[in-house]
Amino acid sequence: MSTNASRKRSLPAMLLFFIIIGSVTVIWSGPFLWMIIASFKPQTFGGLDMASLAPNFKPTLDNYRMALMSAEFGTLYINTIIVTFGTLSVQLVTVVLAAYAFARLEFRFKTLIFYMFLMQLMIVPPILIVPNLKTIVSIGLDDTLVAVMAPYFASAFGIFLMRQTFKSIPRDFEDAAVIDGCNWFQVLRYVLLPLAKPALVAFSIVSIVAHWNEFLWPLMVIDSPDKMTLTVGLASFTRAAEGAADWGLIAAGTMIVMFPLIVAFVLFQRQFVSSFMFSGIK
Amino acid sequence: MFAKQKFIAAALSGALLASGALLPSVASAQEDIKFYFPTSVQGRLALIMKEVVNEYNSSQDKVHVTAVYTGSYAETGIKASAAMEAGNPPAVAMVGANNVLDFVQKNQIEPIAGFLAEDGSTATQFLADFWPGVHANAMVNGDLYAVPFQNSTPILFYNKEAFAEAGLDPEVPPANWKELIEMGQKLVKKDGDQVVRYGLEFPQQVGYGNWILQGFVMANGGQYYNTEYPGEVYYDSPATRGALQFYDDLAHKYGIMPDTVTPSSQVATDFFSGRAAMMVSSTGGLGNVRDNAQFDYGVAFVPGNVRNAVPVGGASMVIFKGQSDAQRAAAWDFVSWITSAEQLGAWSRVSGYFAPRISSYDLPEMQAFLEEHPDAGVAVDQLKYTRPWYATFNYLAVAQPMGDALQMVVSGKATASDAARRAQEEADKILAPFNNSVGYPVE
Repeated sequence: MSTNASRKRSLPAMLLFFIIIGSVTVIWSGPFLWMIIASFKPQTFGGLDMASLAPNFKPTLDNYRMALMSAEFGTLYINTIIVTFGTLSVQLVTVVLAAYAFARLEFRFKTLIFYMFLMQLMIVPPILIVPNLKTIVSIGLDDTLVAVMAPYFASAFGIFLMRQTFKSIPRDFEDAAVIDGCNWFQVLRYVLLPLAKPALVAFSIVSIVAHWNEFLWPLMVIDSPDKMTLTVGLASFTRAAEGAADWGLIAAGTMIVMFPLIVAFVLFQRQFVSSFMFSGIK
Repeated sequence: MFAKQKFIAAALSGALLASGALLPSVASAQEDIKFYFPTSVQGRLALIMKEVVNEYNSSQDKVHVTAVYTGSYAETGIKASAAMEAGNPPAVAMVGANNVLDFVQKNQIEPIAGFLAEDGSTATQFLADFWPGVHANAMVNGDLYAVPFQNSTPILFYNKEAFAEAGLDPEVPPANWKELIEMGQKLVKKDGDQVVRYGLEFPQQVGYGNWILQGFVMANGGQYYNTEYPGEVYYDSPATRGALQFYDDLAHKYGIMPDTVTPSSQVATDFFSGRAAMMVSSTGGLGNVRDNAQFDYGVAFVPGNVRNAVPVGGASMVIFKGQSDAQRAAAWDFVSWITSAEQLGAWSRVSGYFAPRISSYDLPEMQAFLEEHPDAGVAVDQLKYTRPWYATFNYLAVAQPMGDALQMVVSGKATASDAARRAQEEADKILAPFNNSVGYPVE
């Protein structure tokens, strides 16, 4: 939008525009670039320009070697992928069905129930640790990957987002489908969902990033090393209060954790951005 | 669209299959117990701890211990406590030494006396082999609830090369606050207005910073908290105000330390890179300094003012309630093994913590080690000045206002007296429920 507007402006205005955009880009990408560079630098404890953005002349893979040695990354990756996508697949089903009910069906206490769902957004997750853990233990699921996912099978945020999206779609589309003989599921499947695709993608991204990075709940519920997720398995790097920060190692560990998400983002960048524009999440 | 549907279906069934395959493991003939442990020095120790537990598992065939790494001290405390409330406690956990009181108040851990009685011993006999400084944090109301495992005190590390460069004798570190100020000023190096080397740095984040401050308060003659009653802290007392004033002067009047809050990771990084000539840090970091300092360094007692005094820190083993008799026995067998003089000595050598057992130092391996690393000996010599680590009702919450206060003083946002008064008011509010339930209620 702004590029279209600037096209009509004079040259100095355009220059100013690019300078502003350029400096914002540099500021925002700075920490990330630093991390990439630091992960290839030898350990020097700040002695040899650890804070510098200029790459070292002798890049080293030692940090990655150390990080990879400290945990079984294959298992950690698989567990994280199971947790993230397992949660997402259940969420997509529950969120779409609940949002459809709240947007289109008429039933008693609908508004009250919807507000109760929304209240869940206001509860700080750590408060729920003990009650959730009690539930998990009582149904015998403790120390399983299902237990890591279970509290997130329904998502108040997702239901809210999808309800608003469904509500913004004109009824006429559905009425036409009903006249053609569709039942409610076919209406949802062939009319509403295709129109709500950007919102679904936006919700999926938020969900994937949140569960990929989650730390406290998996730490609470998982005991066996072979069921740990990436964030828990790698925590020993960053939780070293009494030692010096080994920035190279921390950077390498963080890169390893982030890598799949970065690749996914680069591959689907265009679609992600348009989804966020559409759904109004920025 | 169809492909995407198929993908979702595949992901869903894949997730269910995998989770089915990973359901709770089958019990074996051995007694399986869980052991939660944190690490607060460096990630490397988490790997070594797993090796130690493997050694125990292969040394006998009655008990199998699963070692679970559980984050920081605070996270380990939360996880163990939450697991206990959910009815699935670990058998054994290594917890912060001042966290023991909290578990006792929640009635979550077993007194050690019961286990000792089965072995035909008593708590007094058992504790006789532990350094007196570590006793208080393991006991609540006269009963022993924890077995000390790794302990530390604050200690002064100094860069001998920086001392020589500043014209100071590298073999004579500061012995009191006056010398600390004099030498500190000489050690500060400036390039124009830019400080390229500070005289002194020490950790100031909430938690670690409180522990270091407790040392300075006690060195200034104070108590910091009531060692005999968990409902009182002495935040607004002459000795505490004096220590905070000392911080203020170090940062602003003399410019010996940065006038911004320095977390422990920065302190160690600055010391290794030569940006700080001295640091007060945990003896638990000795191994780390030994591995990473590229220069000649010295280790000395933390300088005192009225007296020499340092708080003890570190972690202890506790055994959780809610176990079967067989699990209880297995838990004690493991705790006895890992807190034997040999194991404590070995752990001390790899970690830098001092071994809480006196007899660990009689072992030939330990004597050879001390000969080779005299710095570890300084930490042991300083033990005669150790006092217990602050432990109060709801200690994490009570630590917060003092942590905020010391940071405000260092960054120049409050005077020592104002910061102390405010911290005391807030801490009193947090302690009020305990005092009103245990002591005589105050309106």
